[in-house]
Amino acid sequence: MSYVDTTAVTISPRARRWRLLRRRFLRRPLAVVGLVVAATFIVAAILAPVVAPYSAGETNFNAILLHSSSHHLLGTDELGRDVFSRIVWGARASIEAGVFSTLLAMAVAVPIGVVAGYYRGWTDTVIARLTDVLLAFPFLIVAVGLAAILGPSLTNATIALGIGAAPALIRIARGEALALREEDYVRAAVANGASDLRIISRHVVPNMLSTLIVQGTVLIPTAIIGEAVLSFLGLGVQPPTPSWGVMLSDAQSYLIQAPRLAIYPGIAVFLCSLSFNLLGDGLRDVLDPKTTR
Amino acid sequence: MGGFLLRKAGAALIVVFCSSVVVFAGVRALPGDPAIALSGENRDPAVLAAIRQKYGLDKPLPEQYLKWIWHALHGDLGVDQRDLPVAHTIIARIPITLELAVLAVLLGSVIGIVAGIVAAVRRGKAADHSATTFALVGLSLPHFWLGLMMIVVFAVDLHWLPAGGYVSFGSNPLGNLEHMLMPAIVLGTGLSAVLMRQMRSAMLTSLGADYVRTARAKGLPEWLVVGKHALRNSLITVTTVIGLQLGVLISGAVITEEIFVIPGFGHLTLDAIDQRDYTLLQGVILVVAAGYVLINLLVDVVYSLLNPRIRVQGSST
Repeated sequence: MSYVDTTAVTISPRARRWRLLRRRFLRRPLAVVGLVVAATFIVAAILAPVVAPYSAGETNFNAILLHSSSHHLLGTDELGRDVFSRIVWGARASIEAGVFSTLLAMAVAVPIGVVAGYYRGWTDTVIARLTDVLLAFPFLIVAVGLAAILGPSLTNATIALGIGAAPALIRIARGEALALREEDYVRAAVANGASDLRIISRHVVPNMLSTLIVQGTVLIPTAIIGEAVLSFLGLGVQPPTPSWGVMLSDAQSYLIQAPRLAIYPGIAVFLCSLSFNLLGDGLRDVLDPKTTR
Repeated sequence: MGGFLLRKAGAALIVVFCSSVVVFAGVRALPGDPAIALSGENRDPAVLAAIRQKYGLDKPLPEQYLKWIWHALHGDLGVDQRDLPVAHTIIARIPITLELAVLAVLLGSVIGIVAGIVAAVRRGKAADHSATTFALVGLSLPHFWLGLMMIVVFAVDLHWLPAGGYVSFGSNPLGNLEHMLMPAIVLGTGLSAVLMRQMRSAMLTSLGADYVRTARAKGLPEWLVVGKHALRNSLITVTTVIGLQLGVLISGAVITEEIFVIPGFGHLTLDAIDQRDYTLLQGVILVVAAGYVLINLLVDVVYSLLNPRIRVQGSST
């Protein structure tokens, strides 16, 4: 800078961009609500031992199928377990599956997609065809199949959901890399003699981060519902470990006697995935003004 | 057009071939020895060896694959654990799932397209807000839970509809529709939510386009502008979305059939996994993959008919 502006507060461009994004985000009440609710679920999951009044598996055969009361906020189930506590503990499985399967999908898909889009040529052709093959299998079929191969458990369900989500993400990462490699700053870096690794890690990947963040917030609710489905089918979390899907599966036998056993865990799944969807919509509007509807 | 179709069909064939390898390898990777599963309680080595020989399990994997795919090409997918031909079982189940899927797509697209048009035309008004909210709720609802809730309300409390089961259309058309209504709504909700969003944004783009302004400037009535000019171009997007949603629909059918105890294709898939019936499972998944690719090919064809630009671009590359 050739002159000194004494009135301006000196902040870095990065900090200025963050401030702008934060302001844009805070102007969207639904996105803020989404963030708050999603954060509540995450905190409840982490602090389950503190938040939940009872332990997850604590049975009480003198208090089965109770209605809501001051002792049991949402009543008790067929084994006298506190439904509210089980929902709080169940958030662990959902958040774990949602977050980790999304991270796994990113870890698998982004390098593959970037390599395909950046190098093009036969690498791209092979990867694109393989992605087509994987996309020929519906998400749940892949997840169900993998869960069956790996054996039913939360970790394996998370892996299955992550792998199931990867092909679509490969396509997105590839598309982004294809577009970014034509940018002037990438050409400038090539002209400067930067290595491919440096260009990819310093220029290509950082510039697709906003797309990846938005995709991530979209994948999380899908995975949360996916975990509930797999656990419901007996291919995810195994009882007695609490999970919303397991609770719904158990509740099926009590639909006539105690439909509330099916109502509360379902509302938990719904609110949790809704909050991430709201957050994702908000982030998309903030990070990618092109698609602002 | 011919070249475009041929290329698309060629790519689809390659995908189906690769899928068959993935299916075969995937099913082989399942834990447990199929020979033990087939032998029941009998663990006599001689019996196991005989079973392996009978089903060709003692042969090297590539040979097993070639044999399987060769028979599959001739419509023979082998016999399942109950000694029933897999192809027959699959053919018997497909119409049930197909009916469910068609009803769901019908319901989902009618609701989604109409809601999307209304939301776009009435942008920013109450109708737009309620349609957008409906879409968001539809996307966030776990559909199997929606199914359970509908059973509680409409079957258990009100006794309006049966809680589950299946009656064939041929034997009792009304009973068939009664049994299919709730599952179709459950399966169609997600689709309608996705379609509504796409339709709304496609319509908003179309409504802002020059040709729509020209149509308005010519003094065309608003319903004609919306119904003919804007809608036609938006429908192209929607066709693609329906194609892309097929996978979601198939996945949804699996769980919907499980909840409503419909003996369709999805139920068959879960049964095959449950019983570790490998022949059945690989047949089922192969048919899913092939069907999915085939339908996507059809979507491509419809798409190119609706939008000639795709064809031209496709043949120039």
